[in-house]
Amino acid sequence: MEEKTYLEEVDRNIYDFKNKDDYDYKIKKGLTKEIVEEISRQKNDPDWMREIRLKALDIYNSLELPTWGPDLSVLDMDEIATYVRPKSKLNSSWEDVPEDIKDTFEKLGIPEAEKKSLAGVGAQYDSEVVYHSMKEDLIKQGVIYTDMETAVREYPDIVKEHFMKCVPVNDHKFVALHAAVWSGGSFVYVPKGVKLDFPLQSYFRLNSPESGQFEHTLIIVEEGASLHFIEGCSAPKYNKVNLHAGCVELYVKDNAYLRYSTIENWSKNMLNLNTKKAIIGKNAQVDWVSGSFGSKISMLYPMSILNGENAKTEYTGISFAGGGQNLDTGFKVIHNAPNTSSVINSKSISKNGGKCTYRSLVRIAENAKNSKSTVSCESLMLDDISVSDTIPVNDIRTDDVEFSHEATIGKLSDKAIFYLMSRGLTEEDAKAMIVRGFAYPISKELPIEYAVEMNNLINLELKGAIG
Amino acid sequence: MKDLVINESSTRTARNYLINNIKLSDIKIPKIKEFKNIKVISESGKDVISEDVSKDKLTYGIDEAFTNEVLENANHKLKINVNSKTNKNIYIRYKFDENNQTLVDNIDIESEEGCRETINIVLESEGNREYYHNGIIRVNAKENTDIKVNIISLININSLNFISIENTLCDFAKVSYTYVEFGGRNSITNYYSNVIGKEAISNIDTVFLGKENQLFDANYLTDLRGVKSETNMIIEGALSDTSKNHFKGIIDFKKGCKKAKGNEQESCTLLSDKSKSIAMPVLLCSEEDVEGSHGNSAGKVGEKELFYIMSRGLTKKEAMRLLVKAKFNKILEKIHDDEYTCKINSLIDERLGE
Repeated sequence: MEEKTYLEEVDRNIYDFKNKDDYDYKIKKGLTKEIVEEISRQKNDPDWMREIRLKALDIYNSLELPTWGPDLSVLDMDEIATYVRPKSKLNSSWEDVPEDIKDTFEKLGIPEAEKKSLAGVGAQYDSEVVYHSMKEDLIKQGVIYTDMETAVREYPDIVKEHFMKCVPVNDHKFVALHAAVWSGGSFVYVPKGVKLDFPLQSYFRLNSPESGQFEHTLIIVEEGASLHFIEGCSAPKYNKVNLHAGCVELYVKDNAYLRYSTIENWSKNMLNLNTKKAIIGKNAQVDWVSGSFGSKISMLYPMSILNGENAKTEYTGISFAGGGQNLDTGFKVIHNAPNTSSVINSKSISKNGGKCTYRSLVRIAENAKNSKSTVSCESLMLDDISVSDTIPVNDIRTDDVEFSHEATIGKLSDKAIFYLMSRGLTEEDAKAMIVRGFAYPISKELPIEYAVEMNNLINLELKGAIG
Repeated sequence: MKDLVINESSTRTARNYLINNIKLSDIKIPKIKEFKNIKVISESGKDVISEDVSKDKLTYGIDEAFTNEVLENANHKLKINVNSKTNKNIYIRYKFDENNQTLVDNIDIESEEGCRETINIVLESEGNREYYHNGIIRVNAKENTDIKVNIISLININSLNFISIENTLCDFAKVSYTYVEFGGRNSITNYYSNVIGKEAISNIDTVFLGKENQLFDANYLTDLRGVKSETNMIIEGALSDTSKNHFKGIIDFKKGCKKAKGNEQESCTLLSDKSKSIAMPVLLCSEEDVEGSHGNSAGKVGEKELFYIMSRGLTKKEAMRLLVKAKFNKILEKIHDDEYTCKINSLIDERLGE
């Protein structure tokens, strides 16, 4: 009998440890006007922010669930607590972070990464940021890296000008939910001409069961500036559904550069309904690197709006769906100015009954003369109980463009295995090499510690043939 | 009439992207009158031709209102039992004119085991009057058959053209469509191929050429169910003026279609900065041991190619025409009929300005 090769799913041991659900304050479950007002009161919101929240709640109630994509009927907002304040204030030293929370982030390797390779770190535990720090020289150069609450308090004019403007509150139901109950997240402001040599990293950990995390990330990269921002997310697994509906708004001004890397490793009871959007100016560039490994259901489609001439964007993403997972991911790009370009490179691996869907939009508007877009997506299925779908929409509204899209679905190539074996590799090594090769274009783009994590992920238990 | 969206893709995401926005209220369905200008010729003489068409509902179709109109009120019914193994032609020619303005036709092709034949369906028109065509083409291909269907739509660009196609393929059957879609102000096509049989092959090659405000809306779906079954969808088009193309193509690898292959390629040359192309080439896959691919491209005629040809003494218009014809040719050469190949080429010349 033909034996199958099994690709290990993510070793979740390092993420699945649970701390006691020991919080300072946890709002009652559900979503009502009173709850939203209470969150606003707990967070000492200014009036304008409270108004945004209440307006968003009305919009949330008026919008329908998406009629496409994965089935979200498992989500019952009456069973979700939208705000959990941990027993810690915001600290600028790891020493001051309470022991259990500090342990959590140490196990995840965050302080170590900060020492080695980062310019700044933010760590959010449940609904609040518990640690934030940045290198001194960046502070002197005028770089701001803080939690969103501090930004609302200390930089209200900048926040007011940008908050929920890139992603409008009525974009979809879960954006409205986010705007109503948001808490935590990072605010980054890179002044004109400042280039950061090392990345900033925010890590989001949701410990409390039957709760949601709704962090807001707002990044403004001024003219000619440059930044690499990394976000990581994880949570221990509980039996009931948890919800993540974050929002990321990126403003990248003329001649600026932003690289936004995400490794999402939520537990398999998590609904990850995140929204990310970038507005990109003249000669500016945003590169997205995205790894989706966790969650029960993900609906995640980062979007670049190329508003300035010569603006560029690249998306490099990989999804890995194991048993019980439905990862519906992709990318959207709007070419809204002449000479803009986009490169989209997406890969997915589904196994053990997992479902990966690539869903995308490329729109080249009437005024986007001489624009170019290249889309490539590849899907690998490792058994016959998994599902892999590719649903791209390509909307080309002018003639002076170069657009191409290609996609493939399939299993490991017998020919490639045979070729490598004829070069002296064992069948197992040949297959391992092909799978690593499949993921390599993405893993090489990841920050080093995440690349190692991904190599662990593609840890083959090799026995005989795939298929 | 209710504001019903027609020719909807079964992929729900399409609703968000203005690709499923053809509304029935935009279309005036005229009163059906008789249509006499029809010629049906069977070269082999062996085929059984009758009016005994199937009245079963289609699985999909453009919309129930349209398919019901055909099933209940067709003014031309044609049942063809293909009995020939000689690969001869059957011609069905419709010509619209002052006395033949509305055609609602139901063509039902049933191919007996091992038979092979080419069915040519031609739509032509006289003058610039608005004509109306709504048709069903159904092909039931039994074991080992090889059926080719060429649809040549050359009706004027003021007319309305609706075609719903449904194929069922048994083991080792092959059904290949070549669709020349030049006519119709609105040309709406729904194509569904149910590839049940092992090693069955279902292909469709389409060329479209848009002018003025023509709209092409194609919704193609192939379900691959048979082991080692195969499908190819190749769509080549060119759009000038303010013409638009919507392409919704789905290849669905159903569970059990081991070693099946599916390929979907859509390419659109935009000849004007006001023309638009929206494509949604979808691959759905519930079976591991398959090969699926799709490609989609859009853009204007390559500057380098144009320059090269113009450096050989041709004008820009001539060079563009040559390049569009070259792209179309790999599909058009599948029509082995000199008369119609000639007509198609003259129409390309006329549309792209001689």
